[in-house]
Amino acid sequence: MTQRYLILEDGSAYAGKAFGSLATTTGELVANSTMNGYQEIISNQIYHNQIIVFTQTSIGNTGLAQNAYESVLPTAKGVIVREYENLATDHFKRISLDRYLKRHKIPGIYDVDTRQIRRHLQQKGNMKASIVDVADEHAFDQLHATVLTNQQVAQVATPKPYPNPDEGANVIVVDFGLKSGILRELSKRDCNITVVPWNSTSETILDLDPDGVVLSTGPGAPGNLPESVLQMIREVQTQVPLFGIGLGHELFAMANGAKISQLRVEHHGSNHPIREIITNEIFFSGQEQGYAVDSKSIDHAKLFITHIDLVNGTVQGLRHRDYPAFSVQFSPDGAPGPKDSVGLFDDFTEFMARRRDNNGDEY
Amino acid sequence: MGKIILDKMAMQRALTRITYEIVEKNKGVEDLVLIGIKTRGIFLANRIADRLQQLENVTIPVGELDITNYRDDIEHDSTSSDVKMSNNKIDFSVEGKRVILVDDVLYTGRTVRAALSAVMDLGRPKSINLAVLVDRGHRELPIRADFVGKNIPSSQKEKIKVYVSEIDDKDAVELIK
Amino acid sequence: MATNIKKLLLLGGGPTNIGHENELDAAAYERLSAIKRTGAQVIYVDNNPFSFASEEVQPADVYVQEVNFQNVVNIIEKEKPDAIMPKIGGLNAMQVAWQLEESDVLANNNIQLLGIRPIDLKKVLDNQQLRELLDETGEPIIASKIVASDDEAMDFVRDVGFPVIVKPLSASHDTSRFICNNTDEMEDALEISFKRTYIKWVSIEQSIVGYKEIEMVAIRDENGNKLLISGLEDMDPIGIHSGDSIIFAPTQTLINQEYQSLRTATFRIMDAINITGTCHIQFAQSRTDSNYFVTKVSPFFTRNALLAAKSTGYPLSYVSTLLEMGYALPEIKLPEKYSKYLPFMEPTMDHVVVRIPLWPFRDIPDVDQHLNTLMKSVGSTIGIGRTVEEAIMKAMHSSQFSPRDILPSVSKISDDDVINQLIHPLASRILILMEAIRRGFSIDELSELTKIDRFYFYKMNQLLRAQDFVINNPLSPTAVEVGHKYGFGDGMLAELWNVNISTIERMNRNSKTKVTFKEVEPSAGEFLETTNVFYSSYELENESQPCVGKTALIIGRGGNQLGPNAAADYYTAQVLDTAHKAGYKTIIMNTNPNAISLAPALSDKQYIEPIQLGNILNIVNLEKPDIIFLPGNRHYLSKKLKEFADLNIVVLPPDQKVAKYNQRKATDAVDLFIDHDRILPITTISFYTNSHRTELRYINNYQQPMNHWQTDEQKLIDLAINKIDTSQWQGLVQVLFNRIDDQSGYQFSGIRPIRITESAFLNKTTGINWIDALVKKYLGILDIDHLSEYYQPGTHKRYAMMEAVFPFKELQSNRKDGTSTQEVGSSLSFKNIES
Repeated sequence: MTQRYLILEDGSAYAGKAFGSLATTTGELVANSTMNGYQEIISNQIYHNQIIVFTQTSIGNTGLAQNAYESVLPTAKGVIVREYENLATDHFKRISLDRYLKRHKIPGIYDVDTRQIRRHLQQKGNMKASIVDVADEHAFDQLHATVLTNQQVAQVATPKPYPNPDEGANVIVVDFGLKSGILRELSKRDCNITVVPWNSTSETILDLDPDGVVLSTGPGAPGNLPESVLQMIREVQTQVPLFGIGLGHELFAMANGAKISQLRVEHHGSNHPIREIITNEIFFSGQEQGYAVDSKSIDHAKLFITHIDLVNGTVQGLRHRDYPAFSVQFSPDGAPGPKDSVGLFDDFTEFMARRRDNNGDEY
Repeated sequence: MGKIILDKMAMQRALTRITYEIVEKNKGVEDLVLIGIKTRGIFLANRIADRLQQLENVTIPVGELDITNYRDDIEHDSTSSDVKMSNNKIDFSVEGKRVILVDDVLYTGRTVRAALSAVMDLGRPKSINLAVLVDRGHRELPIRADFVGKNIPSSQKEKIKVYVSEIDDKDAVELIK
Repeated sequence: MATNIKKLLLLGGGPTNIGHENELDAAAYERLSAIKRTGAQVIYVDNNPFSFASEEVQPADVYVQEVNFQNVVNIIEKEKPDAIMPKIGGLNAMQVAWQLEESDVLANNNIQLLGIRPIDLKKVLDNQQLRELLDETGEPIIASKIVASDDEAMDFVRDVGFPVIVKPLSASHDTSRFICNNTDEMEDALEISFKRTYIKWVSIEQSIVGYKEIEMVAIRDENGNKLLISGLEDMDPIGIHSGDSIIFAPTQTLINQEYQSLRTATFRIMDAINITGTCHIQFAQSRTDSNYFVTKVSPFFTRNALLAAKSTGYPLSYVSTLLEMGYALPEIKLPEKYSKYLPFMEPTMDHVVVRIPLWPFRDIPDVDQHLNTLMKSVGSTIGIGRTVEEAIMKAMHSSQFSPRDILPSVSKISDDDVINQLIHPLASRILILMEAIRRGFSIDELSELTKIDRFYFYKMNQLLRAQDFVINNPLSPTAVEVGHKYGFGDGMLAELWNVNISTIERMNRNSKTKVTFKEVEPSAGEFLETTNVFYSSYELENESQPCVGKTALIIGRGGNQLGPNAAADYYTAQVLDTAHKAGYKTIIMNTNPNAISLAPALSDKQYIEPIQLGNILNIVNLEKPDIIFLPGNRHYLSKKLKEFADLNIVVLPPDQKVAKYNQRKATDAVDLFIDHDRILPITTISFYTNSHRTELRYINNYQQPMNHWQTDEQKLIDLAINKIDTSQWQGLVQVLFNRIDDQSGYQFSGIRPIRITESAFLNKTTGINWIDALVKKYLGILDIDHLSEYYQPGTHKRYAMMEAVFPFKELQSNRKDGTSTQEVGSSLSFKNIES
């Protein structure tokens, strides 16, 4: 068994055994506490340039199935687990985790104290990390010297528009590094989807005659994107129903005047209760979050806060007062994660239907 | 046998949507009052009022319009042309207010028409909008809902039944053939 | 909101038996501490003499009576409670609650039913209504139909398809069932069934034998807020009762889609039945596609609900209580040591828990040991680790009651027998499965034969390879590391290599992997929870800091067994309580997820570790306790422990082996408490039996005081005291007598330590906690004068009776008489003495 190391910016190093690719990589270290769905997590483009530590101990038990990927080309920089299973169990014709990671050149380390790493991360805050063969001074130097890109969205999002045809409402999905779960849920509702690049202008989008527009999830800080994206959002939201998710939510907030702050420790999991303000009910949803909308910066004349995370108090949902435009920080499609809030997609389709019924009437 | 078209969650979401749309259209909650029609409309109106309370932290007054037939030799259904109001409970003035009428199902429109008359008899509201949980089509009058939870196209042979947990023990909308 | 509840009627679980051991009492205990905080008064009904929870209630508020309709009605009339909480009394209490509702007792007395509305209770308890409800919710249930002819059966099969199960319906307990995979088999089965003269009807249902069994435990508040505590995966497929299954938490072989479907289904069902508090739902999940069926809905506290709680560290019983009383989930406040976010966060696990059932077959060997849908296990034990293998191994260790830390060998069983046991499982399944792998069966074959997911066979294969490596590399440091990683305790390594455990200890000191303790908490490291529950693993970071101050380590009994059964854990709980009150920081070591002794409020720290030498030493080395209590005779363990330096070990009560008999017959006894040279009489007992047997071991029923107490009590006490040599006997001691007839008087039969079950009995009947006194004696803080002043056996107003319960009916044995090693529980009752 090849030995490899996970080294952290603060000088700590963890030895473990290699699986997957033997590449040397550097990325932001994040911990994910979801107990199922490692396939969906690893293939989610949110994890672009990130090294994922799984707190769940056994990863790989069920192999990977063709219909559960959240993207075609995963770009995570590493997978850290306690115990990995090189299995491809029978139904759904799966391939094993090891093969998948090798194919996509993602290195993995197992047989490490992942709980300790997670607790360490929680204490120290977000950190860069590398997966290396030798944990020497050189490796640490390289780690410190590495500047992680701020062009994540451009690196993962589609450069050209593409269709996902169906018979229902016309939905434009603005791709910031979207997860397939979004497309799946829209497809289930028969939406005729066109996915467009992140830097599309509002003219391009509106020319496609959308019934509604979705701002997708994606990696990195919303501040890395140019003002033109916010401009596009401001223009589109006045014309058609708008639904922002994850990074899309953060951009929606910024477009409407709010500020974004970075979380001290990224939160990836589905164990925080989220309160829907209007019904006062709590539910759970998958969260993959590095940034949050600063609630104090919200202009209440423009936006409602619709959801709050009860554990860390962060804004989890917004809605515009004047337009059918709303957004959520969490992933209502639940891949992976609870499907408690998948009804938000129904809300979106209903808003679109309402608009079509009223023929775009002015109120 | 009934088929459940909207389960409890879907009903809740529909009311939530309606609430947001009301605020959007009215640009806030100023001068807003809710008036629920018949039995179930009243419960739905209360639920919308609860949501408005959570959202904007204001108490929106809720009134009750109980429409029954005046003549007792006519069948109690909404296709009758003679309806008369009784047992109303509206202890606020509608003068200058934005009234939102709330009903469970919009069908021929006759009940709503009667409700409109009733409200206008009470005063001169600034505007009257209609919110319904279900719009099943087949209008016999030029009445239109401003806020709809769900459109459920149906044939006249079918029945749409709305259950509310306040009195029916469950929340559901059923289509009965 | 239920803050207006002033008086609460709590229905207990009754005597323990197969199907429920301590878990209801453990739940009740937690419940009482939650209720205390709300200020409500509790009226408790339970006739389980081994109930620890009932002692938390004011004695005047405890009704030692069978939980049945009539008794509860009488109690209601007398006490006039505001509300009734049936959910920790199991199915029995729920049914009583239903009867109370049906007969309008609740309505007439203005009593609120907590946890579920009457209308929903009816739906849940009536099978047909439940099916309709689930149907309406859209949740899939197994299609089934009652048919009277072959034609009807064929119609059914045309709709539903094969395989099906054909069950003849008869008034007698005919539990035969035929699994039919095609028309021929079905026709045969129908022919056999209908041939029997009394069979007119046959039930035919879709067969889900072989489907995965997955369980979900969740909670809900009255506003509809819901939270999943945990999913549980039964390694054994549908067809084996879940109480007899080996269970894993979290689920291991479900993909995200499947898991979320079941979670959503659970939530929808909870909404449909409007419950508050805990709900436990069982599902059958297809192994080949994403289909599933709902197989059982238990909207009350169950064994597996407690397992889910223990596995995650979530204080389920406490929170459940408040939810049932009407508190909303976000309003729940827990005792200070917990994080305030804890109540409403969905638990996430970063460890693996494996639960293994414990069997009565060693004590009752003449019953059918095949596992099927009727539950046969009497208890269970869990192992916690950071890998699946480690958890399996630790669970297996915990399930061994042999003192030697080694797993029994099955290598002598013939190949045919192995195959037979694969298809018709007996107990000790994992050993057979591993043996089958060792003998060369392919994993695919095994999975097909047993319908157990291949994943588990891969894991067992890993264990096998680790075991082989360890056996073939005695005393190598690498082998020690491998052993540790896979959950082989030091004791097992010592046994495998035939060396003293101190050799292993020495090797440990030089090893680079040291034992570390991790906390069982529900946030997977996100919050610094202090549940203070730990398990061992060989990782990098140790989270357990030794307790500060005077510490007492109490070593629990492990899983429930026949014989001392629930009384053993009651005993342990008492020891914990006394040590705590005496100012010690208490540390409990146990592996029984149903144990009262593992109730979070009852100790300062918990270690869920196999009760084996190596594991004990690991804890002792870290905590350095001032005193170690070993409740229940653990001869071998105490001997071995005493070999290690100066450990202050107290074994309570002493071994029954020290008993001295003249003859093995007795009719009466005198119970004494002996401290140094002071002999304090406790009471007198008459034995009685329901059988004709007179040997002592068949006598399992007690009556206090003795027969003829009016004339003979003092005489007998004096006789007994005379027999005692205080240099030989200390603590709780019983002197036995045999009364032949009026003329011959009482023959002396022997002296023995008071049995564990009887100690509980004495506590309940005399109002003095004798176990507490015993512990104080060994702690050196007993005030015997005060005790003897305070307690005088005197005039008696009532008889107290304790009758043993045996699991013969449940195990489908024809036995009538049981020995004391076969007791599975006892019931307590009182009878007024006519004046």
